Amino acid sequence: MTGPVALVVNGVPAPATDVPDDERLLDTLRWRLGRKGTKEGCRTGDCGACTVLVDGETTLSCLTLTHEVAGAAITTIEGIADDGLGRRVQSAFAEEDALQCGYCTPGFIVAVTGVLAELGPNATRESILDALQGNLCRCTGYLAIQRAVERVRGGTP
Amino acid sequence: MTFSLERPETVGEAIRILSDPSYAPAVPLAGGTDLLLDVDEGRIPARTVVSLARLPWRTLHWEGDTLVVGATLPFAKLPAEAGVRTRLPGLVDAVEAVGSLALRHRATLGGNLGRAAPASDVLPILLAVGAVVRLVSASGEREVPIGQFVRGSRETSLARAELIESVAIPSAPRSAYVWQRVRPANDVSQVGVAVAWAGAPGAWQVALGGVLPTPVRVAEAEAQLPNDPPTAAEIDLAARAAAAGAAFTTDKRATESYRRRLVSTLVRRGFARAMAAGGVP
Amino acid sequence: MIRSDAALKSRGGASYGLDLETPGMLHGVLVPAPVASGTIRSVDLSAARRAPGVVVAVGAGELAALLPHGGDRDRPVFPSTQVLYRNQPVAAVAATTLAEARAAARLVRVDVAPAAPLLDIEDRYPEWPTDLATNAPGVVAHVLARHGDLDRAFRSAEFVHRETYRTNGVQHVALEPHACLAEVTDGTWRVRTTTQTPFGVREDAAEILGIPPESLVVEGTWVGGGFGSKGAAFLEPFALVLAAASGRPVRVAFGYRDEFLQDRTTLPAVLRFETAVAKGVITARRVRMMLDTGASLPGRDFATGYAIGFLLGPYRIPVFEMEGYAIRTNKPPFGPHRAPFAPQCVFAVESHTDSLARRLGVDPVEFRLRHVWREGDRTALHQEVGPFGATAALERAQGTIADWRRTLPAGTGIGVGLGFWSTSTGAGGEVRLRLTPAELVIEQAEHEIGSGSIVRGLVAVAERYFGIPADRIRVTNSPTSTAPFDSGVFGSRTAGALGRAIEAAGDRLLTELRSRSGATDPVRLESGPGGFLVVGGSSRRPLADLLTVEERRDGLVAEGRHYGRSGAIDTSRVVEGSFYPYTDFTAAVQVAAVRVDRETGSVKVIRYAAFHDVGTSLDPRMVRGQVEGGVAMGLGTALTEETLWGADGRMLNPGLLDYRVPTIAEIPPTEVVAIEGFLGAGPFGAKGLGEPPIIPVPAAVANAVTDATGVRVTELPLTPERVARALMLL
Repeated sequence: MTGPVALVVNGVPAPATDVPDDERLLDTLRWRLGRKGTKEGCRTGDCGACTVLVDGETTLSCLTLTHEVAGAAITTIEGIADDGLGRRVQSAFAEEDALQCGYCTPGFIVAVTGVLAELGPNATRESILDALQGNLCRCTGYLAIQRAVERVRGGTP
Repeated sequence: MTFSLERPETVGEAIRILSDPSYAPAVPLAGGTDLLLDVDEGRIPARTVVSLARLPWRTLHWEGDTLVVGATLPFAKLPAEAGVRTRLPGLVDAVEAVGSLALRHRATLGGNLGRAAPASDVLPILLAVGAVVRLVSASGEREVPIGQFVRGSRETSLARAELIESVAIPSAPRSAYVWQRVRPANDVSQVGVAVAWAGAPGAWQVALGGVLPTPVRVAEAEAQLPNDPPTAAEIDLAARAAAAGAAFTTDKRATESYRRRLVSTLVRRGFARAMAAGGVP
Repeated sequence: MIRSDAALKSRGGASYGLDLETPGMLHGVLVPAPVASGTIRSVDLSAARRAPGVVVAVGAGELAALLPHGGDRDRPVFPSTQVLYRNQPVAAVAATTLAEARAAARLVRVDVAPAAPLLDIEDRYPEWPTDLATNAPGVVAHVLARHGDLDRAFRSAEFVHRETYRTNGVQHVALEPHACLAEVTDGTWRVRTTTQTPFGVREDAAEILGIPPESLVVEGTWVGGGFGSKGAAFLEPFALVLAAASGRPVRVAFGYRDEFLQDRTTLPAVLRFETAVAKGVITARRVRMMLDTGASLPGRDFATGYAIGFLLGPYRIPVFEMEGYAIRTNKPPFGPHRAPFAPQCVFAVESHTDSLARRLGVDPVEFRLRHVWREGDRTALHQEVGPFGATAALERAQGTIADWRRTLPAGTGIGVGLGFWSTSTGAGGEVRLRLTPAELVIEQAEHEIGSGSIVRGLVAVAERYFGIPADRIRVTNSPTSTAPFDSGVFGSRTAGALGRAIEAAGDRLLTELRSRSGATDPVRLESGPGGFLVVGGSSRRPLADLLTVEERRDGLVAEGRHYGRSGAIDTSRVVEGSFYPYTDFTAAVQVAAVRVDRETGSVKVIRYAAFHDVGTSLDPRMVRGQVEGGVAMGLGTALTEETLWGADGRMLNPGLLDYRVPTIAEIPPTEVVAIEGFLGAGPFGAKGLGEPPIIPVPAAVANAVTDATGVRVTELPLTPERVARALMLL
């Protein structure tokens, strides 16, 4: 079966037609809507490269059926800087060398933005790291990512 | 495998689709974080996937001393709910052990139960506190104690076209879930141990996950715990009894002898954690 | 200086292999061998060809019509007789959609008469293989070297300490899977791919296909991590064959499961040491190594003669014998993985070194200082050691250890590991510089793989060489048809070798400008508001004045090349096989502090420090990034990462849930210290740093575990169960 889906991506209606019932949000974003900033990783929910926000919540787009998120507000890396927090996270990743090959970067930036918003300003460092353990990075060793998170939070990196 | 997706708006409609042979084989979908992988790989034949997302089951409320969790409530919503952390600390331990936060935004308690994984981090605590699964089907509603609900590895007592509506979880302010993994973060537990005080003398309950095809209560261990609070010597006896049980699994994650060692250690640690949780409802 | 790719990558704008698409392209899917070993009876493609959407299906039988002479006989695209490992591609199909291609691939009937696979090298040789020739069953390489009278040294020793270590396979887990897009038109073979080495892929794929390298054009993309996995032809030959057969563009992309099942990487090994000690120093050592090389071809083993040198450590050992066997098994062929096999060898030798120090009751760092190479020393194969920062790094580590002993809680274990590496592989490279009044463009072949060696390293060299700001320097890359040759981004050689090529090209540019300006003194560039100035003695002239109209637009061009020297070894010490000639040594000393859960065996690394002999630091931020990243990857090798194989040749953990790479929750605070001044062969004396950071990690962690517990775990990784077993909890 296929059918139309009325997606809202980065605040803009992004209607898609003929979306197969079993299609994942990841594939709809990348191949149907041409938003390839969201990266395809493991497709089993274990690497976090495909993280997007659905109604503000970090979501693994590889495990999400597109039809299930019709009408929800979807934020991808392409739209993350539309919001002040996302913009700060994005520039902190650049300033702290929190990216190397860059493949985990879009998912990580989206995840950090979602997690900081969800956990709020009083979250402990430990709870933030715990919330990010589903995002794998093989290049940086994560310490630069931790410094980027601290930079956004205004603490000492 | 490709499938058709149905997104019914009522429980009746969902049950009708699941029972209609023209949709078969049909499987219910909650968060999908586990199910979709098995459908993709063909391990679960599915011509129709019935999404439960529109059903009014994304709920959480207290019925007196019992927490009732709707089947499609994402795990991430559970720890934040008022009272859950103090009245069911062991459940929070278990829920926070599931996957990553992003996964918990979609994964659900109902889905976890329906999938009945041997190494589920959630089943042991539900066993230890004596949770009851509320089911609904065309023939009405029924309640099944969690111990009878899980029948085997990936096997439940769900009838065809029957759905998990919610799970009723008695509060247990002194409860804990502890686990051991090769990698602490985001891994499958080699062993998980849940302990809970069920509110009456002689009612310390102990359940193990990851050691057998299904999570189990260990009566031999519980029999060593007649008093509240239990003495260190009693806990030690219980730990030994729990580790002395039936043949544990040897698999790629751990050998049987290591699992025995872990069970005895984790039972002790589980008690330490449950007693520290303290609190009276 | 923020790396120049940061803005693009942080907004999701970088395009990787998996992002490739082109109108009309087909999707190619490989058909895996159903068993690990056996003789192919038939590969029946007929059902697949009839399946919906399928355009072509290709097996060994079709190669003769598609490739000159059917391609390389030794390394056929598809095997026609023997299956060498489970999931070895035996055919491929291309269809309009990926789903159709996958469905069709499942319809290919592969009939194999199965044979018992060999998976474990110790099954084949439970006793050590003695007096084996290279042609003994399964042995694809045998190396032996010796010097001095070993028997006498052992007889006169106060004691001979014997230990055996085992290591397991690790995988790359670059976040980006392999993917490429191939087209074949009018005799030109063209492939866009994610690769660490476009020219390497060109040479390798051309050889496999049996076509002239010049007829193949390889164009790179951004690379989502390599670590050695993207250093040779992999998916490209399959995509090219499918494109040739279909006349359409064909995309072939791997998923993670494929990556795990097909990864060409580090495989298990057994390492034995016998070390003689007298008067508190090592007087002689015999090391023997059995290395699982998977389905590697005889003559193509690169690992054995190269890895075995690590087992003597960077230490003065006057009398030695070292012998290694590469043994073939039914797994994918051994392949390079960040510092191929060095972390495993260094784990073994540095654990053994610690055992010796403990037996003697000597401080482990002090014991190392007694033996470690210093400049002017000779290696076992008599190569001269140049400037080498090991002693300085060990001395710095001593301070850290003393500090941690005072401040960290009781029960903390502290361990040290000393690794070394050869940072100038002799693999050469070339660049083309293009100087306009406004900017300096560095044209070269490589794409950034993450380390920063291209986007930052080359810029840092040019910045320092010319004395101009980084924002006036741009690095470009182009396909193999137009780019200057380079060997690839590997071996910690990239910024070094291409950096020296930039210097060579720069010398030419400045010489030309000096002659054009008529200056009597050497000239240099200066960056001014209106563009570059050429400054020499008292003369300051705008660069534009010295260029033709065309040059002002296209730049003044100069090419530069650098082909490193390779070190000579004393072949009189070699009995059999080829040994790797190391050159330009760098040292890496790391210190780990751990807490060990004595009831479960869990190890938590709580502090870490890394002291690296970098020669000259081209950019401290890049140094920090490489070291932190390498340490984290090494923690996986040390503690959690291992490939598990079933008796039928099936990989048991082909996914991220059971192949456990470190997460953000397991990384300790890490201090990174660059030891400068022991100059290497790179520009300004820089030494490569891509691989050294991973090398000492398992050793440092293992020695810390022993310090905490008193027991030694002799097999990698140090999973909780292995530690529990060593603690005799089981």
